[in-house]
Amino acid sequence: MSTAVEHTDAELAIGDLRLPAQPAKLNLAREYAHHAAVAFGLDADRCYEFAFAVNEAVTNAIRHGRPDAHGDIHLSVSAEDDRLTLSVRDYGTFSGYAPIGAIDADRGRGFMLMTRVMDAVQLCIGAGSTTVRLSKARL
Amino acid sequence: MGFFYIGDEAAVEGASHGADVAVIVAGGELDFAASPQIRERLGERIEAGVRHLIVDLSGATFIDSTAIGALVAMATQVDELDGGSLLVVCPDENRRLLRIFEIAGIESLIAVHSSRAEAMRELAVAG
Repeated sequence: MSTAVEHTDAELAIGDLRLPAQPAKLNLAREYAHHAAVAFGLDADRCYEFAFAVNEAVTNAIRHGRPDAHGDIHLSVSAEDDRLTLSVRDYGTFSGYAPIGAIDADRGRGFMLMTRVMDAVQLCIGAGSTTVRLSKARL
Repeated sequence: MGFFYIGDEAAVEGASHGADVAVIVAGGELDFAASPQIRERLGERIEAGVRHLIVDLSGATFIDSTAIGALVAMATQVDELDGGSLLVVCPDENRRLLRIFEIAGIESLIAVHSSRAEAMRELAVAG
C-alpha cells in the first residue's frame, strides 16, 4: 500500500491574498509563499527559493505595475500533480522588461532570478492586468 | 514590515587605509523596503570621502534583486573613484545568501569574502 501523501488544492486550503502594494508589505508576500510551499511539501531549500521568486514578482508589480482600486495586488496559489503555482496579478498595462541578460538593470535581474529558481515562469498579459505565474515541482 | 538593520561600525583598528575604509553592517531581510536605505547609506559614506566600503552581510537572512542592484550600483560608483572598492562579507555558513549571489552571478561585479579579516587583508594587498 502506498504511503505517499497526495496534496490537492482542497488540502492546501490556502486562500487568496490581497496585498497592499507597498514595499513594507513584501514580507507578507514571502510568508504567504513560504507557507504555501511548506504545506505543499517542498523541501527547505525549495521553499526558500519559492518565496524568493514570489518576492521578486511582487516587487516588480509594486514598482512597475498598478494595484486594483483598493491599492492591492492579488496573490493566489494552486496545486496540480507535483507542481505548485503561485500567481501574482496587478492591474497595470505591461510595458516590457529590460533585457534579461542586462545584469546591471534591476528589473531584468529580478526576472532573470525568478526564472533561475523556478521550474516555470509564465507571463500572462491581459487587457488591464498582468499576471506572473510561478511554478515549482516537488522533487 | 520585514525586519532589517543598517549600521556603521567604528573605525577598523590596524587598517592601513584609515579613514578611507568604512564597515557597514546590513542584516535581516534586505528587500525593496531596505534597498533604498542601503543605497543612501553607502552613498553618504562615499560622499564623506570613504573610498573602500566593506558591507558585512553576515546577519542577513534574505536579499533581493533590488538590494543586490544597490550594492552593484555603489560598487560601480566607488570603482570610478581613484582606487576605490566595495567588498561584501558573507560567511560560508550563510548558504542561502551565497546561493542567491551565485544565481545572480554577482561574483564578476562584487568581491565576496568570508570574513571581515579576509576583506581587510584583500584591501591591504590591493593597497
